[in-house]
Amino acid sequence: MPYSRRHLLQLAAGSGAAAFLAACAGPGGSSSSTSNSDGPISFAHWRAEDKEVFEQIIKTSGSAVRQDISPSNDYQSTALQKLRGGTVGDAFTAFRGAQFLEIAKAGVWTDLTGKPLVAKYEPNLITAGAQDGKQLGLPYQLVFNTPLVNRDLVTETPKDWDSFLALLETLKGKGVTPIAWPGGDAANAGQLLNVMVVNNAPADDALGKIETGETKVTDDWFLTVLKQYQQLTPYFQKGSTGTSSDAALALFAQGKAGLLATGSFQVSGVRKLGATFPIDLLAPITTTADKAKYEGVFNATFILGVNAKSSKKDAAQAWLDKLSDPAVAGVYANGTAQHVTVKGVEYTNADLKALAPWLTKKTALAPRFQFSNLDVRGAVENAAVAVVGGKSPEEAAEAAQKVVDQKK
Amino acid sequence: MRSSRTLYLFAAPALVLYGGFFLLPAVQGLRYATTDWDGYSSTFHDVGAANLTDVVTDDDLFRHALTNNLKFLLVVVLGQTALALLLAVLLAARSRGSTWLRALFFLPTILSSVSVAFIWKFVYDPNFGLANALLRAVGLGRFESSYLGNESTAILWVAVAQIWFHAGQMMVVYIAGINQIPDELYDAARTDGAGRWQQFRHVTWPMVAPATALVVAYTTLQSFKAFDLILGLAGNPPRSGLDVLATRIYSTFANSQLGYAAAESIVFMVAIALVTFLQNRAARMVHG
Repeated sequence: MPYSRRHLLQLAAGSGAAAFLAACAGPGGSSSSTSNSDGPISFAHWRAEDKEVFEQIIKTSGSAVRQDISPSNDYQSTALQKLRGGTVGDAFTAFRGAQFLEIAKAGVWTDLTGKPLVAKYEPNLITAGAQDGKQLGLPYQLVFNTPLVNRDLVTETPKDWDSFLALLETLKGKGVTPIAWPGGDAANAGQLLNVMVVNNAPADDALGKIETGETKVTDDWFLTVLKQYQQLTPYFQKGSTGTSSDAALALFAQGKAGLLATGSFQVSGVRKLGATFPIDLLAPITTTADKAKYEGVFNATFILGVNAKSSKKDAAQAWLDKLSDPAVAGVYANGTAQHVTVKGVEYTNADLKALAPWLTKKTALAPRFQFSNLDVRGAVENAAVAVVGGKSPEEAAEAAQKVVDQKK
Repeated sequence: MRSSRTLYLFAAPALVLYGGFFLLPAVQGLRYATTDWDGYSSTFHDVGAANLTDVVTDDDLFRHALTNNLKFLLVVVLGQTALALLLAVLLAARSRGSTWLRALFFLPTILSSVSVAFIWKFVYDPNFGLANALLRAVGLGRFESSYLGNESTAILWVAVAQIWFHAGQMMVVYIAGINQIPDELYDAARTDGAGRWQQFRHVTWPMVAPATALVVAYTTLQSFKAFDLILGLAGNPPRSGLDVLATRIYSTFANSQLGYAAAESIVFMVAIALVTFLQNRAARMVHG
C-alpha cells in the first residue's frame, strides 16, 4: 500500500496521542507473576552472611532453591517492587515493622494461618508476622539488639545508669574504647536507640507513637534519651559519627573496645575476625535499678513468607516447611550464630549456648521497628547521631520533630 | 521524492525510543505528582498541586538535599575543572612520561562507583583510615576529622572523592582542546615576551573555552546524578548531611510515596534546567 508523508504524520500523531493519553491515565493496577514455573524457586533475603549455611541446607535437603540476596538497606528499599513482579522471591523474607506492613498492604503475603508449619514456632515469638488475626509470615530469627560485651574486659553488669557510666569511665582509664558505635552506618547506628529507649519510654509503644503525633521527640522522656547520648559521647571511639559498621566491628573484635553497640547478629562477624574472648550482652540500664523494666531488647525478624504473586507457591511453601523443621532450623542457628523462633532446636554453637540465658530474661521487643515511615524513623535516629556530633539535645529534638511533623 | 519520504522511517526507531523512554515517563511523572499513589496499590487520590507545594515550601529533608547538591555541585565543578585543566596543561606534551601519567590519572574513571566508594570509605574512616593516619604521620594529628560523620562538611568530602573519580576524564577533554591550539600562537606570544603564565592566560585559556564549556556542563550533570557514589559512601538512606536530590527521591520512592517522589523529581528537573541555563548565561558573559 502506498504511503505519503501525510499518512506517516497521521500515524505518528495518532500513536503519540494514544501514548500521551495512556501516560496521563491514573496510576495503579496490579502486577501478576511472570516467572517460569520450571526451575528453582527464588528465595529473596538480605543476609549475605548466611548464604553458605542456606546453600548447605539447600544441598542436603535436595531443594531447588536459588538465593537472591540484596544488601539489607537496599532490600528494605526495593524488595516490595521486586516481589510484586513475581520474578524474584517466590519465598522471601521481610523486616519487622514498615516493610512487613507495606508488603501486607500490597497483598504479597500468602496467608499461612492454620498451616502445619506454623505450629512449629513459639507462638509468642511470631506475632510480628501476624496481622488482623492472620499469620502472614513467620519471623525466623531471634536476635538481641543489645550491645555485645567482651567479658575479658568487662566482668560486672551495671544495674543502673550511674554505675554504667562508672564502668565506661573505668574502661576508658584502662586505655580501652568503652563503646564501639557505628554512628556512620545508617542501618546500625540506630540499634543503640533500642536499649536507650525501652526503660525511658513512658509506654512500650511510645517511640512508634511519635509517628502518629501522640508522643513527640521534644517530650521530656525522649530528651532524657538524647541527654544520655550526650553523656555517652566521650566513651565512643574517636570520630564515632563517621565510623562504619565494619570498623566498629573490627575495634571490638581486636579487643580494643569493651562493648559493641549493635546486637547479637554480629557475633559471627566478630568471630570471623578472629576474636576468641567470651562474648555476652550488656544493655545500658538508663534509669535507676528499681525503675528498670527491661534488661535488654530482642527482635523477631527475618520474616519468612510465600509470595502470593508467585507461580511456584507450593514449592516456596515446601522450602519454608523445610526451614521450619527443628533439625534444619538448628543447622541454620548454629551455622549463623543466631537463635531462631522454631521450637525444639538444639543449640550447639558455643556463643548461642552462652547467650541462651537471654532467652528467658526480661527483654523488650525492639522499639525502632515500630515506625512505618522510614523518613520519620531516620529523623528520630539522626537526632541521637546529631547529639553525639555536638548538637544540643534540645536543638536536635526540635529539628527532628519538625521533620516528623512534615512527614507523618 | 519517494526516497525522501522513506528517510522519515530512519528516524522512527530513535523517535520511538525517545518517546517511550523519555517523553512518556516524563508525562507519567507529571500525572503521578498530582496523586498520593504509594507505588503498588490499585487505588489513589488526586491531591492536585499539594505534593509540589509541600516539596517546595514544607520539606526540610528536600531542602537539605537541595542545599547539599548545590554545595556538591559548586565544589565539584570548580575543583574538577581546575584540576583537570592543571593536569592537562602539565601533561599535554607528547612524551612517554606524560603518556604514562595521563593513563594513571585517567585510571579512576574506569572504576565502578561502588569500588570508588569502597576506596574512599577506607580513606575517610576515622579510626583505621588513610586520611587521619597521614595527618598523624606528618604531625598534624590535631586536624583529624570524622569526615563523613561531620554533618556540615560531609558532602564536601564526598565532592573530593567525586573529583578524584572524574578529573582524569575531564583532563582528556582538555588535552584534546590544548592540542588543537596552533603552535604559532605560542611562538607569537613568546616573541612578544610572554612568560608561561601569560601564555596560559592569553593563549591557552581563551582557546580552550569550548572545552571548558563542555567540561562544566558535563560535570554539572554528573554532580546532579551522583547517586551510587553517595549511597556507597553514606549508606542507604543517607543522613541529611549527605543526602542529595537523587538519593532523596530514591528514599521517598522506597518509603512507598511514589506520587510525592514524582513531585520531587519534577522540582529536580527544574533545578537542573535552571542551573544549566545560568551556566550558559555565565559562559556567554565570560567568553563573549
